[in-house]
Amino acid sequence: MIQMYHVDMRYAGGAFGLRDVSLHVERGEFVFLTGASGAGKTSLLRLLFAAEAPSAGQVLVSGRNLSRLSSSQVPQLRREIGVIFQDFKLLGERTVFENVAVTLEIAGASRREIRARVWSILKRLGLGHRLDHRPRALSGGEQQRVAIARALVNDPPLVLADEPTGNLDPDLARDIMDIIADAHARGTTVIVATHDPTLLERYRHRLLVLEGGALVQDNAPDSYPGSVRRAVSTSA
Amino acid sequence: MIDVRSLRRLGTSMRDGLRGLRQAPLVFLMSVSTMAAGLLMLSAYLLVVQNMRTVLETAGADLTLVAFLTPGEPDEAVVADLAARFGGIDSVDSVTFVSRERALSRLREDLGSEATILEDMRENPLPASFEIQLIPEARTPEGVRRVASRLAEADGVDDVRYGEAWVEGYARVLRALEWIGAGFGGCLMLVLAVIVAGTVRLAVYARSDEIQIQRLVGAGGLFVRLPFYLEGALQGATGAGTALLLLWLAFSSALPSAGEAVQLLLGRAAPSFFGVTEIIALILLGAGLGVGGSVLSLVYIEESP
Ligand SMILES: Nc1ncnc2c1ncn2[C@@H]1O[C@H](COP(=O)(O)OP(=O)(O)OP(=O)(O)O)[C@@H](O)[C@H]1O
Ligand SMILES: [Mg+2]
Repeated sequence: MIQMYHVDMRYAGGAFGLRDVSLHVERGEFVFLTGASGAGKTSLLRLLFAAEAPSAGQVLVSGRNLSRLSSSQVPQLRREIGVIFQDFKLLGERTVFENVAVTLEIAGASRREIRARVWSILKRLGLGHRLDHRPRALSGGEQQRVAIARALVNDPPLVLADEPTGNLDPDLARDIMDIIADAHARGTTVIVATHDPTLLERYRHRLLVLEGGALVQDNAPDSYPGSVRRAVSTSA
Repeated sequence: MIDVRSLRRLGTSMRDGLRGLRQAPLVFLMSVSTMAAGLLMLSAYLLVVQNMRTVLETAGADLTLVAFLTPGEPDEAVVADLAARFGGIDSVDSVTFVSRERALSRLREDLGSEATILEDMRENPLPASFEIQLIPEARTPEGVRRVASRLAEADGVDDVRYGEAWVEGYARVLRALEWIGAGFGGCLMLVLAVIVAGTVRLAVYARSDEIQIQRLVGAGGLFVRLPFYLEGALQGATGAGTALLLLWLAFSSALPSAGEAVQLLLGRAAPSFFGVTEIIALILLGAGLGVGGSVLSLVYIEESP
């Protein structure tokens, strides 16, 4: 699903987002991405949905070479990726329904399909009674779930989640992870960026550790008992 | 790639455009008013030019060229020869010979009771002449002048007359007005496009969050731009429609009281408003200006989130 070969990514000012990252993620995998603040988690995810371009190396997503993607091919790529943003990026003026529907509208789904799918996912996420509310009027956890619904409503083959449980209490965090695990169980490839060690300990998945933009560890799901805290704290 | 999904996307995108318009109706109204004011000037100008052109065409219709022969009784063979020659000119429709006697009797009729002044004359002072009518397509100042010079070249022709003075003067004024109109209209259209660009720019800022999110979930460039083109087109078309409505109101209410001034300008030609074609063209022009303005303001829209 994802292949990266010696990828560097620099921001306009010259700061490194990523340094010499090589990585393979298979279709259907669940991968945690961790590292201290500023380690490059968000940078890596942004690279994958073509919000940033690699400054060196090759990135392949679903067989597409991102350094050769023309700007007119970017939308098609993004329609195949569900992104859950660290800051949600919801539209405060639109209803919950409209916020979730945007994904399907842009995919060109029919009205009936949109209504059915949005309603069904919001109900599954416990927001069935919130359809006509504005995100402003929702709690942080509810907003987070709306953001997740928008990313998942289209059943994308790849889901990228940036701190999907950030600032949520443990119960809510578990709910959110269950929803994402659910999508994974249905065959979706998932990458979750987080620096929450309890999350990493509870759910056992492949774990990538970034440090200063470089990939410093790549742990198999069963090979890091007790190493998580060390991995995260050393890079912190 | 035209398929059902693309068409649905198109529909959603248009709906977004109308939504943007509902969110800031005041900005829209201001832009439409400015547009209407500008287009009102432009269309008023065009209306004057159109009517003046009609005058020129009507004037051309009863335009007769008169070729006076050299004084004295003309030779019959010469008359026949000239008649054939004039009739052979491309744009000539009809040739009528007016003998000296005929000319004198016409003059007598024209003078009516004053005709006694002709009694004193010992001989007919009038020359014989040919009256030449042109085919409709040739009734332009250039066409008339061309035929006139052909007539004057012929042996036996002394002088050629037509309503040259006023026809040419009028045509020159009209041409000048058309040029001024083109220049002034061009500037005006540029200004209007820039005004629309400003309004659309505001709309882009107002919707920048939405655009960013649409982009992130995979909206294409056209999907993002189309609502603004639509908004621009609507502004322009509404502005043009308003301008035409105002002009028509002015035209039909002010005209009766402005009779003399209009008569001075148009003579016997009846003033007329734009036809359906012109109205549609002006509304399309407004819409086009609106879209142009939107394009102008979206040139620098950010491609990436
Ligand atoms: N838009 C930007 N312009 C310049 N530098 C940036 C930009 N975004 C991130 N960086 C830099 O790139 C590096 C990696 O940042 P990134 O946001 O990927 O970290 P992160 O691991 O997601 O951190 P956090 O856990 O705080 O979200 C940091 O040094 C950061 O300062
Ligand atoms: Mg981050």
